[in-house]
Amino acid sequence: MNNEIAEKIKGMLVERLRIPAEELEYDSELFGEDIGLDSIDSIEIIVGIENLFGVDLSGSGATREDFRSIETLTAFVEAHKED
Amino acid sequence: MLNEKRCVITGLGLVCAIGHDTDECFESAVNGRSGIADAVSFDTSGCYSHKGAEVDLTDEELTGGKKYDRTTALGIKAAGEAIKDAGLDMDSEAASEIGVLLGSCIAGAACVEKYYNDKHDGKEGSVEDLKSMPATVIAGNVADYYNAGGITANIVNACAAGTLSVALAIDMIRGGKGDIFLAGGCDSFSSLAYSGFHALRALAPSDCSPFNHSDGITLGEGAGVLVVESYEHAVARGAKIYCDVLGSGVSSDAYHITAPRPDGEGQMSVITRAVRNSGLEFTDIGYVNAHGTGTAKNDESEFLSLKTLFENNKELYVSSTKSMTGHCLGAAGAIEAVLTVKALTEGKLPPTTGYSDEDLEVLKEKAGDIRFIAGKPVEKKIKYAMSNSFAFGGNNASIVFANDPNVLNLSCPKQDLYVTGIGIVNGEFDEEKGDYTVNLDADVFKSYGIKSAFLRKLDRLSQLQLLSGLKALEDSGITVGPDNEGVIGICIGTNDGPMTEIANFQKGIIRDGIEKGSAFAFPNTVYNAAGGYLSIATGIKGYNVTIANGFQSGLQSVCCAAGAIMFGYESIMLASGTDECTEIDDEIYRDLGLTGEGKMTLGEGSVTCVIEKDSSAAGRGAKRYAKIAGFSSARDTSGDRSDIFRLSEASLTKAVMNVLEEGGLKPSDVSCIYGFGNGSAELDGFEREVYKKIFGDDIRIKLVKKDHGEARAASSSLQFAMLAKDISDGKEENGIAVSFGTSALYSAILLTKA
Repeated sequence: MNNEIAEKIKGMLVERLRIPAEELEYDSELFGEDIGLDSIDSIEIIVGIENLFGVDLSGSGATREDFRSIETLTAFVEAHKED
Repeated sequence: MLNEKRCVITGLGLVCAIGHDTDECFESAVNGRSGIADAVSFDTSGCYSHKGAEVDLTDEELTGGKKYDRTTALGIKAAGEAIKDAGLDMDSEAASEIGVLLGSCIAGAACVEKYYNDKHDGKEGSVEDLKSMPATVIAGNVADYYNAGGITANIVNACAAGTLSVALAIDMIRGGKGDIFLAGGCDSFSSLAYSGFHALRALAPSDCSPFNHSDGITLGEGAGVLVVESYEHAVARGAKIYCDVLGSGVSSDAYHITAPRPDGEGQMSVITRAVRNSGLEFTDIGYVNAHGTGTAKNDESEFLSLKTLFENNKELYVSSTKSMTGHCLGAAGAIEAVLTVKALTEGKLPPTTGYSDEDLEVLKEKAGDIRFIAGKPVEKKIKYAMSNSFAFGGNNASIVFANDPNVLNLSCPKQDLYVTGIGIVNGEFDEEKGDYTVNLDADVFKSYGIKSAFLRKLDRLSQLQLLSGLKALEDSGITVGPDNEGVIGICIGTNDGPMTEIANFQKGIIRDGIEKGSAFAFPNTVYNAAGGYLSIATGIKGYNVTIANGFQSGLQSVCCAAGAIMFGYESIMLASGTDECTEIDDEIYRDLGLTGEGKMTLGEGSVTCVIEKDSSAAGRGAKRYAKIAGFSSARDTSGDRSDIFRLSEASLTKAVMNVLEEGGLKPSDVSCIYGFGNGSAELDGFEREVYKKIFGDDIRIKLVKKDHGEARAASSSLQFAMLAKDISDGKEENGIAVSFGTSALYSAILLTKA
């Protein structure tokens, strides 16, 4: 996993969604019991990732599974990021 | 039987994208002429949608040249028509008793945009824009414009605000707090709302298509104002009467901050409440002007609610006029109320527009037995019509109009009301910031079972509100559950509401573009988010209203709560006052010149009091702090009406004398006053002098703001709560809590021993 990308995604989640940093691990289930995100948060994640990496999650066919954790989001960004 | 007091509609005023007055709007609506076009107020080129339903009049054209924020300007336009239509002489003595209750969602958004644009460009923001930003000034400004001297209130429950203001007018009249009100709502087209709904992907790509393609809303702007009057008052002045307004319902979803409950429970609850409150059956209703926004979630749950409740009504006509007016947010309910009154009284029911032949085929299946009006109007004489509004925060409101005066069969014998719980969240002095700030500790919320996944969504105002609400429920010993969730309600007063969230959202748009608004932040820019979160966290499903009306809002929330108990379904109301003090607030009050040496020091906090009727308190053996022996608001238009901060000895005296009369006390019987003094020399001197004249030199004035700062609505609630505690502790026999709003509004509440 690309730690640099993961750390940026974590920072974005903490800032944009006010998730307490100490409760957020790379493998925390974002939409499950752990963090409890919902559909509004997913829109915010799409905008946040696009601003950070220029990757359009909705346009690039991201699935529910890709939104599962920071790890899965990082993998998706790595695979779709144009350098 | 207070509910037997008839309320009638005697005047109408309307301005929106389909017309400049009621007749023009109604003609457009009946003929299916939509006002939706490409938006011109701001640049939408970066957005996926470009539509809007804007009013083609400038601010100056709306007000006859005077300068106001556009939301207020739209309200002035509609109120002017309603006044003329009702034949009211605003230069006569009678004008002094006309109250103004206006709903708004986005308030002074145009001024917020201008102010922060100026600041972004390195200019000094205008003080006039600052004064016009909060919702708190709208009704006072409209009342002052027309020399209306009655009570004012701004109802800020997002998209249900316009309907709620009419509901509140009925409660006020039935409660003997006034005989005639201009009630309605106004909201301007704004980059803030556009950006927010765009971020939520809730804007329709093209013209909205309610109950049809259901792919989103189209935002609009406008205002609707109805003259709501007691029947006796209308007859005495020989007024033309359009129809009766029979009753209302208000409920909370307790589900989600933006989405309605998919099972329609909250909507069905509010419709049922309104039908029952009007003394009717579901089969009596002939027409429903639906909320019908055009989002999939709304349209699905609303169709479900209507089909379920009106299953046995084979003659129910339904349409959504938002297909033509756009969604005018806080004005929507008021605009639709005016159109509903016209439909009822003229026997012409407006259609929902935008249906192709193919769509009509699909509709047949979706609508079932409902006679859904699409494409063409229906000519039909009906007796009873209903208008529904469902808002962010899970706030639902419904009102019923009648062509003939139904014999109201409700009995609501007047019961004594008690304070049975208190929750206080106060600020402490922060040397560094120079104001009074609350330390909001996540662990405290955890001790109440609030998870961090929920808490993180709440802005500071909502967190303050939630905490005082939880404390009050705990103090009162009330556990919310299936047995009582529907009979508990919420009434929140605030002066500045979520101004921090509004300002930060607007700054974000200015920096990043309208298309880059935050979906996460937008829901917290509405004034009733705090009340919505409180209902979601606690499961309270009854009445839910937020009033933004100056520093006295914490006291007015108690007055409103009393109305909800007397005329609604509630046995228990949480009445709160809440305001925050952030860097944004510090900046605003400094720029207004209201803080600093020899002036007030800002504070923040939230205070919630549980107001409960006698039978409920007795039934559960509740502890009683004090009895509410009288409540009153008063204002006038003497002095310089262009000065919203003016003081009025006459109004303050009237509010105090009213509660004494209601409580059967003389000035010499009063043990103490919990006053509003905040360290401003002029204000404090004025207050002392007025009390001396009423009560004599020896009256004891207790002040809370010297210890906790000027926390605005939270302070006025704190005055009320401290008085209740003092009476309960035997320190005082009785007392009056008093506070002030803008445009010379004062509220007073008399508490006596329980």
